[in-house]
Amino acid sequence: MVKTILSIVISFSILIGICIFESIFIHKTINSVETALIQLETKTKMQTATKADALKVNEEWQNKKRILHIFVPHNDIGYIDYWLGEAISYIESKNFDHALSKVQVLISIFNQIPEVYSLSLQNIF
Amino acid sequence: MGLIFIRTTIIFISLLLIMRLMGKRQIGEMQPFELVITLLIAELACIPMSDTTIPLLYGVISMIAIFFLHQIMLLIDLKCRGLKTLVAGKPAIVINKNGIDISELKKNNLDINDLIESLRGAGYFAFDDVDYALYEASGKFSAMAKENKETSAQKSSIPLLIITDGKFEKHNLDLTHTTEKYFLQILEKENIQSLKKVFVLTIDGTGKIYLQCRGEKYKILQATLPKESVW
Repeated sequence: MVKTILSIVISFSILIGICIFESIFIHKTINSVETALIQLETKTKMQTATKADALKVNEEWQNKKRILHIFVPHNDIGYIDYWLGEAISYIESKNFDHALSKVQVLISIFNQIPEVYSLSLQNIF
Repeated sequence: MGLIFIRTTIIFISLLLIMRLMGKRQIGEMQPFELVITLLIAELACIPMSDTTIPLLYGVISMIAIFFLHQIMLLIDLKCRGLKTLVAGKPAIVINKNGIDISELKKNNLDINDLIESLRGAGYFAFDDVDYALYEASGKFSAMAKENKETSAQKSSIPLLIITDGKFEKHNLDLTHTTEKYFLQILEKENIQSLKKVFVLTIDGTGKIYLQCRGEKYKILQATLPKESVW
């Protein structure tokens, strides 16, 4: 009986602990990359963005995504890699109009990820 | 992960509810919640294992959630009698001293053929061989033999189902070389005007008839079988 109650408490604590950690970690990770992306977006709009700026965002993303793989389906991460690669390429070739659209799509994806994994009625059902 | 936990809980409760509504027929020697866990755990383990795009943690969290729900069910099983009945169901006494309890059979989505099959599985071939028979909450069948039950040496043949739910079993009529008219005459002698009133009628090779009408205690009758009636 004591063992059963103890196992209930432990398993519930693990579940709640992981839920809270996941929520905080995803928000924190996404926010830091999103901030870098917003800076890149501003520079792209002003047509002053350089390849180095884009690579800096990419480096930030590459560092964060390793742990994000534990929580987020790998396909979603793959899409971000794909869009970011395109944005870097457009910035390098000074094609700022195309680069801007790619960066904006990335910002939109980064906005959506925490929402997709948050506890809400539409996500549960 | 909170999403996975909530979704797993919803699926678990839904499956448990469905299993309980399906009655004892679907459960084989397991508590309903144990069956639900068996059904779920294999799938939960397989999906992240085979699909590498899904984080392994999804499977692990689902399994911890299932374990958590299992322990809750275990606690309910041990401590809350009322909830236990709700979750696991209760034994259904399908044969008592008055004969077959038709309402209990219906409540558990069972028919007379299921009952006969279970009786045979328990080693009894006639309804009047047992005083009580019941399906446990787990779906397991148990029967209590009558004290004066006939030994196998006394038995000449297996009792065959002649009427179920007010309908003749044509195949068994052919097997016993009898006719509907023959049984209708027997029913008439017993003052039974409508065939629909008869829930079950079986006959064995000695002519012993087990007759139960709806809402009445069963009767054992002795009939004289035609000479060619051997099976």
